[in-house]
Amino acid sequence: MTTAPLSAVRRPRSMTFVWQIAGLIIIISLWWLVTDVLKIWPPYVFPSPKDVWEEFSYGLWGTGPQDGKLLSSVGSSLRRVALGYVIAVGLGGVVGLLMSLWRPLRETLGAYLQGLQSVPSIAFVPFAILFLGLNERAVMFVVIIEGFIPVALAVSGAVLNVPPAWRTAGRTLGANNFGLVTRVLLPAALPNIVTGLRTAWSFAWRALIGAELLTANPGLGRLLEVGRNTSNMALVIATIIIVGVIGALFDLLIRTLESRIRRDYGLEAGA
Amino acid sequence: MTHRTRKSLAVLLLSSLLWTSLSSSSAQTATTVRIGFFPNLTHAPALVALDKGYYAAQMKGVKIETKDFVSGTTLSEAFAAGALDIGLIGPGPAINAAAKGMPIQIIAGVAEAGAVMIARKGSGIGTYKDLAGKKVAVPSLGNTQDISLRAILADAGLKPQSDGGSVTIVPLAPADVAAAFLSKQVDAALVPEPWAALLEAQSNKAVGDEKTVWRGGKYPSAVVIVNIKFAQANPELVKSFLKAHLQAIALLNKSPAAAQTSVSSALFKLTNQKLDPRVLQRALKRTTFTADVDIEAIKEYAQLNINAGYSRKSPDFDSLVDLSLLRSLTAPQSQVPIQKSPAPLILGRK
Repeated sequence: MTTAPLSAVRRPRSMTFVWQIAGLIIIISLWWLVTDVLKIWPPYVFPSPKDVWEEFSYGLWGTGPQDGKLLSSVGSSLRRVALGYVIAVGLGGVVGLLMSLWRPLRETLGAYLQGLQSVPSIAFVPFAILFLGLNERAVMFVVIIEGFIPVALAVSGAVLNVPPAWRTAGRTLGANNFGLVTRVLLPAALPNIVTGLRTAWSFAWRALIGAELLTANPGLGRLLEVGRNTSNMALVIATIIIVGVIGALFDLLIRTLESRIRRDYGLEAGA
Repeated sequence: MTHRTRKSLAVLLLSSLLWTSLSSSSAQTATTVRIGFFPNLTHAPALVALDKGYYAAQMKGVKIETKDFVSGTTLSEAFAAGALDIGLIGPGPAINAAAKGMPIQIIAGVAEAGAVMIARKGSGIGTYKDLAGKKVAVPSLGNTQDISLRAILADAGLKPQSDGGSVTIVPLAPADVAAAFLSKQVDAALVPEPWAALLEAQSNKAVGDEKTVWRGGKYPSAVVIVNIKFAQANPELVKSFLKAHLQAIALLNKSPAAAQTSVSSALFKLTNQKLDPRVLQRALKRTTFTADVDIEAIKEYAQLNINAGYSRKSPDFDSLVDLSLLRSLTAPQSQVPIQKSPAPLILGRK
């Protein structure tokens, strides 16, 4: 993996940043306008930016019984998704590779995985709870399933898309089976695999929040549930914002990695 | 002070806006009454009134729409969305909703007690103190039983895990507790009736009785709430609703056998479940039906709710609880102020 600093990603970054900040200001102003000024909806349906900010501050440095737990909730959710994602990537990588190498597996398991991918993660929760219990493992199970499928399909597809000539070349140069996989196929498939990793991340993150919401383990999903149960729409919106921001940050991170790899492979203009 | 007035003014303005936009035709006199409740025994008066046709008989000339909900959360969401006019709900969600400015008002009581802590067979739980390190299920976070459980734990010197203690509180639909007991997912559950009696019938044990849950069993487990705007526009209709409500409570208290048949058939229609008459009897026995509301208990509730961290302020109790309509119906007949009814009318034999 290349280790160039983030600044090496060259884009007209400054302008993008300005536009993004401007967009944010416009959104918050509109939000403030419809809630605090025009009062189109009552606050228990659509709270104002101020109410939501208050929930943030309670979560960060409040002293009430349920306060000050924002960071620890974010922490438990991230810990869970990190572990689940790593397992999903490892498992998906191995299964995907096996599927690409062995046709019968590809045509059976591969087809099933395609079908399973269309099942929303929430659908796995009741089974996970009965099978593993109302605990962390049930949540992890759902996260791993959701992350595993896109990785397996991406790895399998990416390896299959390596031009046959490259295999022949690898063989001609004396690579054995193991060498062919590690020195030719996987490196060649890397750009598409990374795209799969990005899909897997967003699937895993969404699955995590959904599963936490239903099992009420400490975490962001639980904050959503408490907000809903106590008619605290501001807490619900604050949590949605955190979930969205974390999801976007990680997506950006993987996308940066992805575009760097694609550039290294000559698939994207470096500028 | 000015801030508060402004806020309440805004709420008033908004709710009226919402109200007129949602039901412009019925702002004066409603043509439809939308009633929400749960298929639980703490909501038995609604079940009886439905089965016996009391609502239809009292509220003539309007269309009656009833909806059953699984939890206070969903019912209060329906209220927030303007989809309900009258509802039977636990005091916990009602207080939370009011504290958030939802235009609702408690106009009568429904039931007191009616919830018991059931310990899973083989869990080794005999007293509330044994809950240390265990998993306890409640119907949902922030609901009436969750608040009661937190009070029980505090009394027993225990703390929920989320507050650094050892007791894990698990939100779980009462219907799913039996399965969770079988697979040992949870060790105990504080559930409303008839679920408690059902779990007992499956040889799980009650920890204490309904009186040990809180305030010697003298606490509301369900109350009647109305949309304030609806009540102001349709006082006669709300009065008629209360008449039907009182009629159902009277039947529950005076003719337990007849009421039991009614409850049973209403529950069957709603949930497709046929309750064993003995289970139903035991469940009803642990529930007190009264239209009165103990305001002190409501206030204590609000405090417990704040202690649990589910709310930051108490609602304005003077505007939240208004029993004047109820009093206008009950005072002349009974002559005694209903608030301190000397002997709570408990169904069945003790």
